[in-house]
Amino acid sequence: MNTRAKDLLAKRLNRAVSYAILIGVGILVVIPVIWLLLSALKQDSDYMAWPIHFLPMVWRWINYELVFTMTPFIQIALRTAVLGLLFSLGIAITSAMGGYAFSRYQDVKGNSRLFRVIIVLLIVPGIVFLIPQFMVYSYLHLIPNTYWPWILGALVGSPLFIFLYRQFFLGFPKELEEAAELDGCGPFRIFWQIILPNSKPVLATVMIFAFNGIWGDYLTPLLFLSDKMTLLGVKMASAFVDPHGNALRTVSLAATVIYILPLVIVFFFGQKYILKGLITSGLKG
Amino acid sequence: MAVINFISSLRTPRSFNRAKRRSRTFYAFITPWLLGLIFLTLIPFILGFLTSLTDYDGLNLPTLKFMGLHNYIRAFSDEYVGFSLGRTLIWAALNLPLWMGLSFALALILNQDVKGRGFFRTLYYLPSVVPAVAAVTVWKILLDKNNGLLNGMISIFQPGTAVGWLTTYALQGMTAIAVWSGLGGGMVIFLAGLQNIPDELVEAAKIDGANGWQVFRYITFPLMTPVIFFQLIMGLIGSFQQLVYPLLLATQTGAYVSVPPRSIYLYMIHTYQEIFANQRYGYGTSLLWLLTIGVTALTLVVFWSQKFWVYSGDTPETGGSS
Repeated sequence: MNTRAKDLLAKRLNRAVSYAILIGVGILVVIPVIWLLLSALKQDSDYMAWPIHFLPMVWRWINYELVFTMTPFIQIALRTAVLGLLFSLGIAITSAMGGYAFSRYQDVKGNSRLFRVIIVLLIVPGIVFLIPQFMVYSYLHLIPNTYWPWILGALVGSPLFIFLYRQFFLGFPKELEEAAELDGCGPFRIFWQIILPNSKPVLATVMIFAFNGIWGDYLTPLLFLSDKMTLLGVKMASAFVDPHGNALRTVSLAATVIYILPLVIVFFFGQKYILKGLITSGLKG
Repeated sequence: MAVINFISSLRTPRSFNRAKRRSRTFYAFITPWLLGLIFLTLIPFILGFLTSLTDYDGLNLPTLKFMGLHNYIRAFSDEYVGFSLGRTLIWAALNLPLWMGLSFALALILNQDVKGRGFFRTLYYLPSVVPAVAAVTVWKILLDKNNGLLNGMISIFQPGTAVGWLTTYALQGMTAIAVWSGLGGGMVIFLAGLQNIPDELVEAAKIDGANGWQVFRYITFPLMTPVIFFQLIMGLIGSFQQLVYPLLLATQTGAYVSVPPRSIYLYMIHTYQEIFANQRYGYGTSLLWLLTIGVTALTLVVFWSQKFWVYSGDTPETGGSS
């Protein structure tokens, strides 16, 4: 066999193995999702049957209706969504202020030192701060019956988002600001009227991250909120029950589908921004 | 602009004022974050440390006793600390290589010219948007001992299979969940690194007669070591602070009390139990501090090991500090 034929064979083999891995892993990734979708359409007895039923005996689309009529899902979802929206709006603006300052005022003494603090905070496990915060908040009675921990969090911004914004603003042309400054525009007006309106992609990315963070959070509401104030993440950890206290298993699975759906939709629309933003700013660190 | 800046810099008093003004503006912009740093991070952190020196149990403020380093010494004779630390190490040793290896392999494949690249990339990333709570629910119904899909499928060949994938083999089950969830995120970072490798390098090597494996061994892999290093650090930190998965996989759950299967009784679970179930705030926070010290030490060791295996050329790669 000459080298060219050998090369071709190696290439084909390489290709075949590549596709085998891609498809194999793809199936492993998808099976859990399909099983969830199927299980959510079963009846409880059907779902609990052994030997298992691969397909629902009766396709109970009504499970999705029951999520809204029989469980408090929608009420808690709305509460979580409102908190998530306000939180992400706040944190997107306060973090932008920080990121802008770190990127544009590098000549100021203390900038690089404080930025190093941000880097350290990115590495230190979040849980290390969460538990001491729990003790302080509970001593001040800000938990378990208020949303103050979230309000305060939105007001002070987050190291991760400040970092993302800084990387974004570093690549943002300075000419606009310089022109505005010559026209006598103060730094805060420049920030509000020039910088923020021109940084929509990164604003959107940060808001999506922040919102998903609240929507998917389990630990913080578990620790910080009483049962009647709690958020969706905590509720989704266990099955909803009917008035007699019996678990509504498959209805809860339908609720899980509805719980995941908005995140998937947002991901599909925003994936270009998100993946790109993540890649470019995440790695230049 | 440059000219104007230059001229104004010649006039010392004015540029001095300008520097002062800029400094004020900078601190005004970061005031929210600074206040947060002081009141929501540093003060709780210090209070947490002070708490770890006492016998605080949430109610005994008037009779609080200073215990010195007693809590820290006690940790070394707590058999659960040793046990849970061992479980955490095993968890990290199982989860990290699997997650990194698989996501790196997928990134390598997807970095080639294969059909459906975008489709596969989206597919693998999808589980990453599923929150931990939902991921655990999804895997619970898949791996359930009595009516899960996996046991159901095995039963076709071997009737009556009832393997406790989330009890007896909870560690393996949890690893599956973590890898499933983390695959996309890992892959994206590796892909970014791969895309930073200059094509000319690979082309040149190929012209010189290097085969696929040689290109990987002598070009791709060395140039990717900074990214691998970054992933290793983040993965290590993440593995050691893992709390949510075992908590959600706990078999007995109450308001605060949750006991996961023994094989996933991780260090953070023990800390959590001591603080929230047993109200031993003093002892629990000392465990938290020990974890921080341990993870920091481990991170420093990995940083130190960098010079032996991480490539640090002047190509536009990652890993440089800004």
